[in-house]
Amino acid sequence: MTSTLKGITLKGSAELVAEFFSFGINSILYQRGIYPPETFTRVTHYDMSLQVSTEPRLNNYLTNVVSQLKEWLFECSVQKLVLVITCLETNEVLERWQFDIECDKSAKESSSAPREKSIKTIQDEIRSVIRQITGTVTFLPLLETQCSFDLLVYTDKDLVVPDKWEESGPQIIDQSEEVRLRSFTTSIHKVSSMVAYKRTDSACST
Amino acid sequence: MDLEDDTTILSTLKSFNTFISRPERPQLPSERSAGSGVLQSQYKRSMEILEAAERVHSQNRFLQLDQEKKQMELSHKRARFELEKAASNSARDFEHELDRNQDLLARVKKLEGREFEADKNLSDQVEENQVLRRNLEAVNKKLEERDTKLNTANKTITSLKDELRELRQKIQNQDLVFSAQTLEKQELQEQLDLQRRKYQEISQLCQTLQAAQSLCSEHIIKIKELERRLILQEQDMAIVKTIKSEAAKVTDLEKELKRLREENSFLRESRENYNLLKEEAEGLRKKLERMEKTKEELVNVELEKQRLVEKLQAWENLGQSTGLNIRKPEDLSREVIQIQQREIALKEQNYTLNSRVRSVERLQSELRAELTQQCTKTMEEQKKREAQDALVRRLQKRVLLLTKERDGMRSILESYDSELASTEYSPQLNKRLREAEEVLQRTQNHNSEMEAQLTKAEEDVGALRLQLQRVEMELDSLKKQPASSPESSSSVSKEEENTLRKKIEDLEAERQRLEEQNNILEMRLERNNMQGDYDPVKTRVLHFRMNPSSVAKQQRQQEVETLREEVTTLRELVRSLQEGGGILHAQDSSGIYTPNISLSLPPSKEVQDLRKQMESSELRNQRLKEVFQKKIQEFRTVCYVLTGYQIDITTENQYRLTSVYAEHMDDSLLFKKGSKGSMQLMETEFSKTLGEMVDLHLHHQKSIPAFLSAVTLDLFGRQTTI
Repeated sequence: MTSTLKGITLKGSAELVAEFFSFGINSILYQRGIYPPETFTRVTHYDMSLQVSTEPRLNNYLTNVVSQLKEWLFECSVQKLVLVITCLETNEVLERWQFDIECDKSAKESSSAPREKSIKTIQDEIRSVIRQITGTVTFLPLLETQCSFDLLVYTDKDLVVPDKWEESGPQIIDQSEEVRLRSFTTSIHKVSSMVAYKRTDSACST
Repeated sequence: MDLEDDTTILSTLKSFNTFISRPERPQLPSERSAGSGVLQSQYKRSMEILEAAERVHSQNRFLQLDQEKKQMELSHKRARFELEKAASNSARDFEHELDRNQDLLARVKKLEGREFEADKNLSDQVEENQVLRRNLEAVNKKLEERDTKLNTANKTITSLKDELRELRQKIQNQDLVFSAQTLEKQELQEQLDLQRRKYQEISQLCQTLQAAQSLCSEHIIKIKELERRLILQEQDMAIVKTIKSEAAKVTDLEKELKRLREENSFLRESRENYNLLKEEAEGLRKKLERMEKTKEELVNVELEKQRLVEKLQAWENLGQSTGLNIRKPEDLSREVIQIQQREIALKEQNYTLNSRVRSVERLQSELRAELTQQCTKTMEEQKKREAQDALVRRLQKRVLLLTKERDGMRSILESYDSELASTEYSPQLNKRLREAEEVLQRTQNHNSEMEAQLTKAEEDVGALRLQLQRVEMELDSLKKQPASSPESSSSVSKEEENTLRKKIEDLEAERQRLEEQNNILEMRLERNNMQGDYDPVKTRVLHFRMNPSSVAKQQRQQEVETLREEVTTLRELVRSLQEGGGILHAQDSSGIYTPNISLSLPPSKEVQDLRKQMESSELRNQRLKEVFQKKIQEFRTVCYVLTGYQIDITTENQYRLTSVYAEHMDDSLLFKKGSKGSMQLMETEFSKTLGEMVDLHLHHQKSIPAFLSAVTLDLFGRQTTI
């Protein structure tokens, strides 16, 4: 809704991608039951109904992260965004939702013209990605214990670390199964998504 | 009437019964003599009597029932009568009630009317009340306003009064201040006068001081001048001294001078020698260096000489080894020249041979080309021949066909000619002939066309085959040419080729292996990328410090810590209470099924209560003790004062009495309490002195109080006298 009808600029693309992350993270939190469902409210976006959290502390945290992410998307210095779900009792990483971001650096030049890609196609692609995320619930293992989440950002090494942010480990799952999901592109940023979950050693696991 | 009937019935019954019983007695003895006939008649009589009795009974019964019925009817009548009475009564009552009801209704109506009026009155009064209230409220408001006004007026009054007071106070203060200031002014004036007097005195003193100062300055100047002169004199003195000392040194200096001059000249000479010697030394050093260089050169030269000698020997040996009879280098050079000449000759031969080879090769290639051409030609000729053969065959076939047709036609014609009996068939036959000929011609034309097409096709095929063969020949020739040409030059290129081929194969194998490895590594990289691995040189992983999982972890830790603290405190509680609560647990027979922790709660309360009780009781005890002690002290002092004896309990049942007027501290009487309760005096030193009184009062009078009082009196008497 931010980019003009003329085409997608770098700023507009960054805003679209940040918006997608905001809604995507909220729907993942709702689907995986990290927060109780009664704290979520239904909103309409991308021509579909999405669940968004109403807890103020969570929303504050998400807006902080997403606004910083928008800046980094504008500078084309972010490579991945990862949502890590850890079990509170054992401190084990149970799930990892990884979004790889490829940025076309030629759009950073001031002389480049806005790319022609209609917002509708981008929104359709985003809608299919979010639908697929909702659909993954069918094969992901149940999260039975109390869990909490964390957002990691993979950036370029030479980036200045802002205050309130700190370095962290990659928090990789040992013995994981990976499933690659759909991707969407705004012709400046390409976001491909995938989910990795801890392999359950029960006989039911395929 | 009925009763009379009853009595008659009863009387008849009685008479009947008597009648029955009478004849039975006298009949008894006659019965035995009469026999059975009498019995039968008796029996019949008895039966008749029984029947009669029954009839009587029934009649009786009937009469009874009639009586009862009549009684019932009577009772019925009575009841009816009574009921009618009751009904009439009730009717009367009902009428009464109705009248009363009507009265009451009338009353109710009246009351309702009154009530209505009352309501009206009430409402009117309520309205009046409200109006009054409003008036009251208005009045109240006015009152309040007036009150507020009054209050404000009062406040203003008070404030004005305060201001007045303050102003008065200020005026007073200012008056005080003024008075104080006037006093101060007077004081200051007095001080001023004093100061003026002092000033005059001081000015006089100043003048005297100035005079004195001027004198002083003059003196000072004089003193400075004198000091300067002193200093100058001292300097002169010092100079004189130095000059004296110097004068004394002069002789020494002259001696030294001489010595130094001699030394100087000596040194100059030595310096010249020194220079000379330096030059010599430099020259020698240079020579040394040169010598060393020459030595090194010598060494090198010797080495070279050895080398050259060796070379020479080698050269000389060469001649011997080669067997060319060489002794001098001239021979060598000759030999070399010969060899060179030989070489030149060989090279010329080589070149000629090469040129021949090339021409031969050219011829060969030309011949090959001719060969190919010839081959092609032969092939063409062959093709032509084959084509010709094919044509020939076709023509032969055609000829055969034609001959067959001709024969057939001839036969037909002959048949037709033979059969030409009637001329009817001739035109038809001619027509048919013509038609047949036409058909024939058409078929022949068709045939010829087909044959022409066939020949064309065969020619094309032949041409193509020729081309193919030409190309094959060229290929063969080309293959043969590179194979033939290196053979002429050398065999090294073959080896090179082989090595190059081997290299190519190896490189291809390596390439494939590297491609496979590359694929595997790419898969691994992709897998790692999916799992979330990253290159630490290029990327960095960041996350928000206050992220939900860290916050949740902190909360968890805090919960865990609080729980641990709770657990430790509870454990301590349990331990302490298990030690002390074991007793309480036995006493506690409430039957509550709870774990030890909750059982401890009631005992603790009890414990606290008991403790409180204990403390209170202890306090009470203490207070009581204090009180008792006080009281005892009081009592004892009172006893001492009143009776004159201080009574102490030394040991059990032994009492020591000391008198007020005792002459010595140790004078005391000991009494012992016997088993029966009687007091007995014990022997003490003091009691020995009171033997008379003991005898008198205790033995004779048997009274201890008398004895004691006698003792006090005696002591008192003694005291007063002393």
